[in-house]
Amino acid sequence: MVTAVRSEPQASAFLARADLGSLLDALHADGRTVIGPTVEDGAIVYAEIGSVADLPIGWRDEQAPGRYRLAHADDERAFGYAVGPTSWKRYTFPPRVPIGRARRDGDRTTFEPIEPEPPALAFLGVRGCELAALRIQDRVLAEGPVTDPDYAARRRASIVIAVECTVAGATCFCTSMGTGPEIMSDGADLVLTELGDGFLVRAPSPAGRELAARLPLVDAGEDRLGEGRAAVAAVREAIGDPVAIEGLPGRLMARLDDPRWAEVAERCLACANCTLVCPTCFCTSVAQTSDLDGFESVAERTWDSCFSGDFAKVAGGNFRARRQDRYRQWLTHKFSTWVDQFGSFGCVGCGRCITWCPVGIDVRDELMAIASPPARRPLPVAVATQPGAFVPGRIASTAAETPDTTTLVLEDVDPRIAAGSPGQFVMVTVPGLPAVPISVSRFAPERRSIELSIRAAGPATGSLHELPAGSTVGLRGPLGRGWPVEAAEGRDVVVVAGGIGLSPLRPLIDALLADRPRYGAVRLFHGARTPADRPHVSDLEAWALRSDLELAVTVDRADETWTGPVGVVTHLFDDARWDGREAVAFVCGPERMMQATVDTLRDRGLRRSRIFVSLERHMECGIGLCGHCQLGKFFVCRDGPVFSLHELGDAFVLEGI
Amino acid sequence: MATTTLRPRVGVVKLTSCDGCQLTILDLEDELLALTERFDIVDFPEATSDRSAGPYDILLVEGSISDPDQVERIHDLRARTRLLVVIGACATAGGIQAMRNWGSVDDWASSVYPDPSLLRVLDRVTPVSDHVKVDAELRGCPISPDHLREFLTALLVGRRPQLPDEAVCLECKRRGYPCVIVAGGLSCLGPVTRSGCGALCPAFGRGCYGCFGPREQPNVVALTGRFEADGLTRAEAGRRFAGFTAWAEPFRAAIPEDGPARPIRAASRGASHAR
Repeated sequence: MVTAVRSEPQASAFLARADLGSLLDALHADGRTVIGPTVEDGAIVYAEIGSVADLPIGWRDEQAPGRYRLAHADDERAFGYAVGPTSWKRYTFPPRVPIGRARRDGDRTTFEPIEPEPPALAFLGVRGCELAALRIQDRVLAEGPVTDPDYAARRRASIVIAVECTVAGATCFCTSMGTGPEIMSDGADLVLTELGDGFLVRAPSPAGRELAARLPLVDAGEDRLGEGRAAVAAVREAIGDPVAIEGLPGRLMARLDDPRWAEVAERCLACANCTLVCPTCFCTSVAQTSDLDGFESVAERTWDSCFSGDFAKVAGGNFRARRQDRYRQWLTHKFSTWVDQFGSFGCVGCGRCITWCPVGIDVRDELMAIASPPARRPLPVAVATQPGAFVPGRIASTAAETPDTTTLVLEDVDPRIAAGSPGQFVMVTVPGLPAVPISVSRFAPERRSIELSIRAAGPATGSLHELPAGSTVGLRGPLGRGWPVEAAEGRDVVVVAGGIGLSPLRPLIDALLADRPRYGAVRLFHGARTPADRPHVSDLEAWALRSDLELAVTVDRADETWTGPVGVVTHLFDDARWDGREAVAFVCGPERMMQATVDTLRDRGLRRSRIFVSLERHMECGIGLCGHCQLGKFFVCRDGPVFSLHELGDAFVLEGI
Repeated sequence: MATTTLRPRVGVVKLTSCDGCQLTILDLEDELLALTERFDIVDFPEATSDRSAGPYDILLVEGSISDPDQVERIHDLRARTRLLVVIGACATAGGIQAMRNWGSVDDWASSVYPDPSLLRVLDRVTPVSDHVKVDAELRGCPISPDHLREFLTALLVGRRPQLPDEAVCLECKRRGYPCVIVAGGLSCLGPVTRSGCGALCPAFGRGCYGCFGPREQPNVVALTGRFEADGLTRAEAGRRFAGFTAWAEPFRAAIPEDGPARPIRAASRGASHAR
């Protein structure tokens, strides 16, 4: 959420409806032209307001994606609508502004800027979202290292009378963007809240207090304050929270190749209406006009749009030639790269781009389709989540995998644990020893069974490794975020395992094979130090016989039984002919093996957002509370252990993080 | 051309057209004298009865190719012209008269003319670019005086003309008109039509007729879908594209196979028989 600071306590002053004209009179007396809402061309637009009669008294706007209609209600409200097609940038950042002049006189050429001459304006009826938009444009155009002098001058010459929203438009989503329906941003001089019989008034700025002092204000009284609070709260309630913005910038950039961009481009007209009605969009072009001989020319800054054909064009071609390129540019700028550039979203949730899209494309839906929040694929319910609580699991049988690795087949396991998803882990304990995180190497919910393949690495795992059948262990889980199997749908799949790293991948392979037609080619590569260090050999042998799975195995050091390839696992696909550009990869093994694998996969064209690795870290609590397993911004136990390379960034390749 | 010390020889010729684009040239009142000082205007039927046989440095061609003589003439003109510029919807897209392309010449000729045998026309009305190489085009019905001024200035100064390929919507929003599709449910072609008119029709609460023809990346299918959602049948929605640039793709493809209007055969024949 963007910063939501109420700059003033609740208003306590009240302006009777009959006295609204006194506000206009005071503004006019200051020599200001009042710009405010008025009905024109079938819409409530912002234009010059001469008197109260110019305001849209009794008018309502009915909005839907691609649709806007006015309706008349039987009341006296002047601000009973949401927002119309005009945004305040028409007055702070006009569509055409002459900015410079060039003259050629013989051999002498001169250039001179055109100095702004801003009119003294009062903006009446600025909504919470719109004030936030003005503040965003302030950051872009007036508060950065470079300033647009015309914009800055116009802003300085204007004062802002904000009006809180007491009706909700059907395309509004200020609540998600943290900009309304209350006035939440700073920058208003006067703030009004419309009630049945008048307006609550507060004055957050010196200019506003000076103005308020000239109005016939009375004490509002507790009832009116309550009415105002309730009206705005009802708007918040009606809008709800349609866009999950937490983490949205990152999610969006991870979906640059989402097929939805092409799909939305079939509906999108690339007509630029969304950007032109947007209160924050600031893209322009400079048009030059000259006299017939080119002796004098004027440069004019003109509203343009990333949807225009010429916008990303160079002599050799167009960098964003297709509609899908332009839609992606717009949406990712608004909701991701704007944050990097200017520290906030480029969207305030006013809903104009939805209402005024001639084909009704709803940015709320597109965002949720392209960058849906993570792990809404509900995590299986974990049991015994607290670090001190465990549920029992009985060891039905054990199987030696390698000299130091044993698989425990647990039965009578809590069904919620047995219903975990591939890549998840459990905390396992025996009395007297610390609990250790173990990835589940097979889920068998129908038998209430899981398998744990445990390598004896320390005292705790050593004890687990030696437990005989019939023993009982304590379990907490299933924990963490496993392999995103759904990311593989419709794509080729590459699974690369190093040694015991095959164990956390085994449930993934089970899941792929159980629903085989949903995926493209499935290729599994396994490498081990020696033939004897290969776990799950019977599975490997069974998979080798399948025609719908390509399996290749290698060892670092062969023995007399080994007839297969020798070398590191990446050699298995160094020279392969398959194209990785549309594939998804799942990788698990020692960290160095994973790094080498990732490099090779990247060489094959796989994207960072489609390469998933499972990380090992020191985990104690398994639920993101103890702090041991932090990796950058992540708790590996809670946010992982499976991550995309894109999520991890440099944290994956740098040592000591 | 700007570098030559002699004034460039400019011709204006017309094929099948209403002369409206020529009148737009005459509408450049403030620049007209200056233009005649800089250009040697040797042919201009709306302005002078003098005729020249060329050659031309610049030839502005108005009108569509509608009869066999025009085919011969445009090849002849091309051969005598350095820079051939087509102006207006007729020359660039076939114009309003290209709507006859959906019918048969025999059918409509017999219902319009007392003696159709005197008529010598082509089966199809076509833009100039279907016949000869075109060096530049100015769109519109009529062309925009601003575009013309910019084009001529650019020629004189020796730079590339700035004629943006953008939707009418950009001009419409810069001028501050609420969208007539969204607020009025009108069938406006603005989103798929190239700018240049200053959003003239939306300014008067009307939908765009597409006078400047298709812009780049026009999504006609999606816009037709919107018209249907507003209550038009598929055929009615397609016929919205049947205006001054009906023959330009992809507008042409949107128009139903039985034509831009009710089939002329049944309707007008029936009427004339009844009379």
